[in-house]
Amino acid sequence: METKMMDTKDRELLMTRKLNAPVALVWEAWSNSAHIASWWGPNDFTTTISKMDLRPGGEWNLVMHGPDGTDYDNKSIFREVVPLKKIVYEHLSYPSFLTTVEFEDLGEQTLLKWHMLFESAEVFLQVVKTYKADKGLEQNVEKLEVYLSKMK
Amino acid sequence: MIARRDVYQAIADPTRRTIIDMIAAQPQNVNAIAEKFDVTRQAISLHLKVLTEAGLVTVTKKGRDHFCEAQLDQLCEVSAWVDQYRQHWERKIDALETYLEKLKKEKYGNQNDGY
Repeated sequence: METKMMDTKDRELLMTRKLNAPVALVWEAWSNSAHIASWWGPNDFTTTISKMDLRPGGEWNLVMHGPDGTDYDNKSIFREVVPLKKIVYEHLSYPSFLTTVEFEDLGEQTLLKWHMLFESAEVFLQVVKTYKADKGLEQNVEKLEVYLSKMK
Repeated sequence: MIARRDVYQAIADPTRRTIIDMIAAQPQNVNAIAEKFDVTRQAISLHLKVLTEAGLVTVTKKGRDHFCEAQLDQLCEVSAWVDQYRQHWERKIDALETYLEKLKKEKYGNQNDGY
């Protein structure tokens, strides 16, 4: 049946990007915890990596600190590590998903393939919906702030 | 305003997603749909009710037949939300891109091209 072929279509995200840096540098930015902490979190977040054991079965624990002081714990386990080529990790904190990051050597450039697979379409939809709700909430708070500043 | 039933809730169920797949190309009779599943006709009717309330399916009566037609426009709402979520991750890649530029400068100095 058709649904078999497209088995994961309704619970995955695939992003690709050609990066303007050689694969060795991209790998370094991805595999060294000091580097990854510098770019991982959203813009106004900071990231603390308490553990990054980059090998199959190794733990990856990080905390993202939100601008409002909220901490977000993220626990993952590396499933596959192929230097300069591939990193697969499983996000254990909710929502659970499997990320496969592939690096393709293009000389001075690197093709990055970032694939996220959620455990079910239900979980994926829930995440997307929660994200949308958060976004909506964020915008509402912004609107309220603008409104309040006008009142002053 | 009466709150319409949530599109997400409607497509969160695998049976309901299969029903939408089945009628996406062309409308089908309720009986024909029910025959493809191992559950009771009532269960399928209930699923169709949820889909109808979410605006994903319309049912048209033709004599004794009830034809179900998929209204795929409603799904755009979902894909727009998925896109929003995707952008959240795309921004991470943006940040990686910016950071790589910084790393390159640190490693190779400012000679961006000639290296």
